Amino acid sequence: MRTVLRAAMRGRLGRLASIGLAVGLGVAFLTGTLALGDTLRANFDDLFTQAYGRTDVVVRSATTLDTDVEAAQGLVPVSLAEQLRALDGVRIVEPQIEGFGQLTGADGEKLGGQGPPTLAGSWVDDPELSPWRLVEGRAPEGSEEVVINRGAAEDGSLDVGDVTTVATPEPVTVTVVGIATFGTADGIGPTTWTAFTFAGAERHVTGRPGQASSLLVAGDDGVDAAALRAEIAARLPAGVEAVTGGELVADANQTINEDFLGFLRGFLTAFAAVALLVATFSIHNTFAIVVAQRTRETALLRAVGASRRQVLGSVLAEGALVGVAASAAGVLAGIGLAGLLKGLFDAFGFALPAGGLTLGRALLLAPVVGVGVTLVAGLTPALRASRVAPLEAMRAAATDGGRASRARLAAGAVLAAGGVALAVTGAGSHSLALAGLGALALTVGTVVLGPGAVPPVAGALGRALGRLRGVTGALAARNTVRSPRRTAGTASALLVGVGVVTIFTVVAGSLRASIDDRVGEVVSADLLISGSGFGGGGLSPGLAAAVDRVPQVDAAVGVATGPVSIEGRTSQASVADPADLAAHVTVDVGDRFAVSDTVADDRGWAVGQTVAVTFPDGATETLTIGAVYEPADPIVNGYLVPRQVWDRHSVQTVDNQVLIRLADGVSVEDGQRAVEAAAAAFAPPDVQTRAEFVEDVTANVNAMLGLVYALLALAIVIALMGIANTLSLSIHERVRELGLLRAVGQTRRQLRSMVRWESVVIAVLGTAGGVALGLFLGWALIGAASASGTVRFAAPVGLLVPVAVVGALAGVLAAVRPARRAARLQVLDAVAAT
Amino acid sequence: MTITTATTARAGAVGATKVYGRGDAAVRALDGVTVDVPAGRFTAIMGPSGSGKSTLLHCLAGLDTLTSGTVHLGGNDLGTLSDRELTVLRRRRVGFVFQAVNLLPTLTAEENVVLPLALDGAAVDPVWFEEVVAAVGLADRLDHRPSELSGGQQQRVAIARALITRPAVVFADEPTGNLDSAAGGQLLAFLQQAVTELGQTVVMVTHDPVAASFADRVVFLADGRIVGELDGPTPERVLDELKRIGG
Repeated sequence: MRTVLRAAMRGRLGRLASIGLAVGLGVAFLTGTLALGDTLRANFDDLFTQAYGRTDVVVRSATTLDTDVEAAQGLVPVSLAEQLRALDGVRIVEPQIEGFGQLTGADGEKLGGQGPPTLAGSWVDDPELSPWRLVEGRAPEGSEEVVINRGAAEDGSLDVGDVTTVATPEPVTVTVVGIATFGTADGIGPTTWTAFTFAGAERHVTGRPGQASSLLVAGDDGVDAAALRAEIAARLPAGVEAVTGGELVADANQTINEDFLGFLRGFLTAFAAVALLVATFSIHNTFAIVVAQRTRETALLRAVGASRRQVLGSVLAEGALVGVAASAAGVLAGIGLAGLLKGLFDAFGFALPAGGLTLGRALLLAPVVGVGVTLVAGLTPALRASRVAPLEAMRAAATDGGRASRARLAAGAVLAAGGVALAVTGAGSHSLALAGLGALALTVGTVVLGPGAVPPVAGALGRALGRLRGVTGALAARNTVRSPRRTAGTASALLVGVGVVTIFTVVAGSLRASIDDRVGEVVSADLLISGSGFGGGGLSPGLAAAVDRVPQVDAAVGVATGPVSIEGRTSQASVADPADLAAHVTVDVGDRFAVSDTVADDRGWAVGQTVAVTFPDGATETLTIGAVYEPADPIVNGYLVPRQVWDRHSVQTVDNQVLIRLADGVSVEDGQRAVEAAAAAFAPPDVQTRAEFVEDVTANVNAMLGLVYALLALAIVIALMGIANTLSLSIHERVRELGLLRAVGQTRRQLRSMVRWESVVIAVLGTAGGVALGLFLGWALIGAASASGTVRFAAPVGLLVPVAVVGALAGVLAAVRPARRAARLQVLDAVAAT
Repeated sequence: MTITTATTARAGAVGATKVYGRGDAAVRALDGVTVDVPAGRFTAIMGPSGSGKSTLLHCLAGLDTLTSGTVHLGGNDLGTLSDRELTVLRRRRVGFVFQAVNLLPTLTAEENVVLPLALDGAAVDPVWFEEVVAAVGLADRLDHRPSELSGGQQQRVAIARALITRPAVVFADEPTGNLDSAAGGQLLAFLQQAVTELGQTVVMVTHDPVAASFADRVVFLADGRIVGELDGPTPERVLDELKRIGG
């Protein structure tokens, strides 16, 4: 058995190395994504532990309105602190305010934002209650004195003694009196932080005297946090709760894991799966070719007494050896990749907490998957090898003649047809599960059908190539038809990779087109000012009023969003003066609380009905649904709360958007200039035209596409190596033929060109198939996912053409090495080869 | 690139020496061979295994290079040509018939015949094509792939391909080696016919005295040297000569 294996492996290290490369890349990808996910999780855990871990008990409002976008916590009365201080075992109680504030740098530019929050709050001096440490200056004493984090200070070139502006969102002129670090770090990742005195924060951040975000409690030495919590909880009024620091860390971790990290991990795992899938095709294909080329040797082994089981075992053992070696290399490469991905996320604006890599799970799981994939991919070729009859040793060297069997084509056709039917049904009935199942069936069906499709398609390509590139082109195309199974197998890897890129591209393009449409239909405002979304980049409510006073402006209205809980479900609601809104968007509901028709349908509500609405401060009001409107996102979402109702309950009111309608006869340019001048006092926000607004809204989609492209480039690289591998093996088989061609007058350049065209034909087969598959599945998945038809299918030609071109060009790239090697053949050696 | 076309001796070697390997392992495959390939004649090269006959053929045809000495073909000194020039020379001025793997399996018989012209981007002379195809008796097999042809038919396609460019010399390396005697005889008759009727120059390496007897002249090689010549050979005289040189 060992002899058999050694005989099989001898002299084929090159070939095995190329199988190993595919496995290694897949494993590297998996390791990288697992390590990245775990690293982020560990980093966040560290961060939260540092922030809350040493506080024994936190007293806070029991009302938390948590949506995917933001969480709002009600306030607690500061007066509670006095009662708590009197308790046995309590060393210190400090009220704390947490909110948002946009710092301005020395050059007048806003600091941070664009993702990471810009935080503002109150300074807490006790080191057991606060992770912040002064490294320069002193703690704030006056209401307009602040401490800022070192990262923000460096970013904005702010020093102790500098005067600057913090928008909370009202602009507040403050003096920087101190610079602090979060533990030893420059800040909480890339967030900015501004700390007032408690009184300053009361006035400028929440605007609610006598109220705190939470009370931080530290016990005397040796006091058990849980016991202290229980004691405190017993004395709290209704609507206020006490949690330990440890519980807070666990809560925060759970939130970040469920929302952000959960999404990220799913996303990354999907890509690792695609990479491994593509690798599996490549590995399978290479194994199949190698086994076919080795038929005579295998037959000889059988003739001299090797059993079937021994042959099967030797091929599988070979696969296992390659899998182990490649997985080991892949894990190492994956660790590097994780670091690289982290940098990539930073570059795309998803700044993540700093820290080393966490590898545990990646090291455990990735090698197992790598070896498993290799063995699975090698199983059918190994079975085929074990069925080689001893007599075949006497026959001429057999190659993988591989035409698809009738049964295979029939199975493929059934799968593909079933897949199409399921996908179409899924799209029609808005069933994502059905469409997904259809997508899977169609993809598998396409791969199974591949060898049947190769001869006609490559034949047609060959005729075109023959006209274009003469006999060199014709030979190249016909070479791809010699073994349809091999060609199809090679192209499949690319097909899957390109298919997935196309699906993402189509989904992104459709989202973008739909946003475009929607804004065009819904928004009639001439200009828009947008805050940087969530996390405190909001606009002062005073901004809309100031803009409204500009002579060139006909009307301006501010729109805010905030979490509310309605009849047990927490959602983001839009907040605006409904009466003013009608001038800017297609929502005309008078002066009342209203919901969109989608929400009304979904929850079975009608106009006139009353619902209980809970606000961030914990209060609940009964509101009457005054009207139902057509959805008007991205400006107004499913719920519209009148501003005067909201203002009664909000903690820190910020606008997300100001919609501006210009007076008759004012050009957009003039209007924009005038509004910009008026807005300058408010930590200058960007005043956008409608087109600029659309560009901005779709920028997120573009950022996602950037990631998709970056990650899938890897899948395509794996597919390319498969093509290069197949070409090398084919050339190895055709040495004599190539020698003959050179003897009768084919130049080296023509030979290279022939190999290149063969590669391009394979690449085009895979790419074209992938694009077609991706377009169809993209259409089906969009149809299925978009229940209310809010997203319309749009094939983004501008994005797909590069995908197709890159796929085909990839063929040229894959051929470089095999072509060079083929051209280096000595004519005589080739002709004389046996 | 200039490829001269006219001369009486179509090809030849002067002091051709070919050494494989170095030092103690060095093997002199050719040891100062001087030979002429006269125009319009059928020359056979014979000799025992390892005598250097195939090496001589490969060097004369521009498939291999000499260690020292010169080879000329159609008025060109092959030692002075680059790989590309040699390739074009083979394409336009040399025809090949090998023992096996003479045809590309993906091309039809017709496409195989015109392959050198296709590689050159040159037009096919339809009259000459008809004549060559008729001469080897392939007119009804032109659409077939090599796998659909018998061994003899495949070699006839190879001869047609060798003739299609009206080359200076056709080189045949054991062209009958894989054929039964009837098909082999027929093939040799075609080669002979190419010389007598079409005015071609043919050089053939063989170890078969019967095959050699189809030639006008036989050159005998042993240990890399020319050890004999025979004009107007018969199988018996060839055998005698082989015995004399110790083959």
